[in-house]
Amino acid sequence: MPQLKTAAALAVAIILQLCLGAVWFPLSYIDFPLIVVVYIALQRHAWHALIVGTIAGIAVDAASGGLIGAGGFSKTLTAYLIYVAATRVNLENTLLRIPVLAAASVIDSAIYVFWHRSLGYPPNVSFMQTMSYRLIGTTIVGTFALYLLNSLFTERARQRRTFASRRKGARRGPRKLGR
Amino acid sequence: MAAIRTQKEIRQRAPIWLVVLLLTNLVIMAVDARDSVTRQRLIRVWVQALISPAQSLSSGASGAGTNFVRQIVNFRSTAYENERLKQELSKAEFELRNAQQAAAENERLQGLLNLKEQTGFDHVPARVIARDSSGWFNTITINRGSSSGIALNMPVVTGGGIVGRVIALSPWTAQVMMVTDEKAAAGAIVGQLGGSGALGSVRGLGEKGLVEMRYVSGLEKVEVGNYILTTGQDGIYPPGLTIGEVVQVSPGTATQSHEILIRPGAKLDQLEEVAVLLYRAPARPAPEQTLPNVDKGKK
Repeated sequence: MPQLKTAAALAVAIILQLCLGAVWFPLSYIDFPLIVVVYIALQRHAWHALIVGTIAGIAVDAASGGLIGAGGFSKTLTAYLIYVAATRVNLENTLLRIPVLAAASVIDSAIYVFWHRSLGYPPNVSFMQTMSYRLIGTTIVGTFALYLLNSLFTERARQRRTFASRRKGARRGPRKLGR
Repeated sequence: MAAIRTQKEIRQRAPIWLVVLLLTNLVIMAVDARDSVTRQRLIRVWVQALISPAQSLSSGASGAGTNFVRQIVNFRSTAYENERLKQELSKAEFELRNAQQAAAENERLQGLLNLKEQTGFDHVPARVIARDSSGWFNTITINRGSSSGIALNMPVVTGGGIVGRVIALSPWTAQVMMVTDEKAAAGAIVGQLGGSGALGSVRGLGEKGLVEMRYVSGLEKVEVGNYILTTGQDGIYPPGLTIGEVVQVSPGTATQSHEILIRPGAKLDQLEEVAVLLYRAPARPAPEQTLPNVDKGKK
């Protein structure tokens, strides 16, 4: 079941990434697949995060003008770095996730551009400018998206939803329940 | 206990998975980087074929969404003025805008229809359904592919001039590298073919939206406002197509070529409809591989 949720979140993220740029170009600076990768890495699911990073990166690369595999490489490595950080430091706090998202965006962009320059395909746009746009877009949208994903998918959220109805029943009292 | 062991195993094996996946990506990247002429890969074909319906939908939705937002803005402003008059005005404005859009679209499509007469080649009209999703490159995706007779390296044009060439294909979509991309190039001449000796080649400058013309002799006369046309010597574009207009010239000397900047004739930042010319450059004779002093009769 968690795998299904992951696959669904990934599919939605890839479709959003490939389609929203046509609606309004600045939306292409928001890296939706990276947000999903960061979310899974923060859940400390190493295998999921690495695979999702590779698949998301390759899928977006295949529909863009860049080298296939560059995005896969950068997202896989980013996923691992965040997974390692999440296993050593408690990153459950929403505020702490903001710098994590920002760092993920910078690392992803830097590795992506590094491989393109190394293999003779330098990007056509200014690195600093595009990286800054991606950093801002991904961090802002990612903060809300992580909060949303957290409240929908995590075990704690599921428990909260389950016990909320029980608490309500308990508050009513046994006599009222009988009526 | 079993769960703890599993977590520990996962933590221990994660670096191995990481290395395997990174190597996989590296191999794919290296294979993709080997072919600098086209970017046709099976994975690209499949992803583009799968995603094209969603991209077509979002492309259509963008126009409707823009109109929706405009209507909301119009409604907010009506609160401060006479409601009935404002509504009539906004309705008239909306209709006028639609009429202007229709007129502009009509003009663009008319330009595409005239392409056959201008170029003498059959063409496939297409709509731009997506721009580069990564934000790093100058490519677009159009809603026509190999099922419409399009092949790799075919030139893509508008009524204003050349747009680029096809670099990857799926049955229903094609990816186009624009002339402003740093990897794009074309043979070019200043002014009319046969009427000028100012030959050179144009190359994209990336983010500036301009292209650069190189190797034009410093002795040739080139002025701002001159038109640049294709020569057909690059094996991609047919001769006589407009590339753009000279916007800046740094004059050269007898030993140094001019430095020329060109604004593309096709409005590349506002592309909606394009045409793919069904043009294949005439085959060139294969270069002589044997050494000049080898007697061919001995074979």
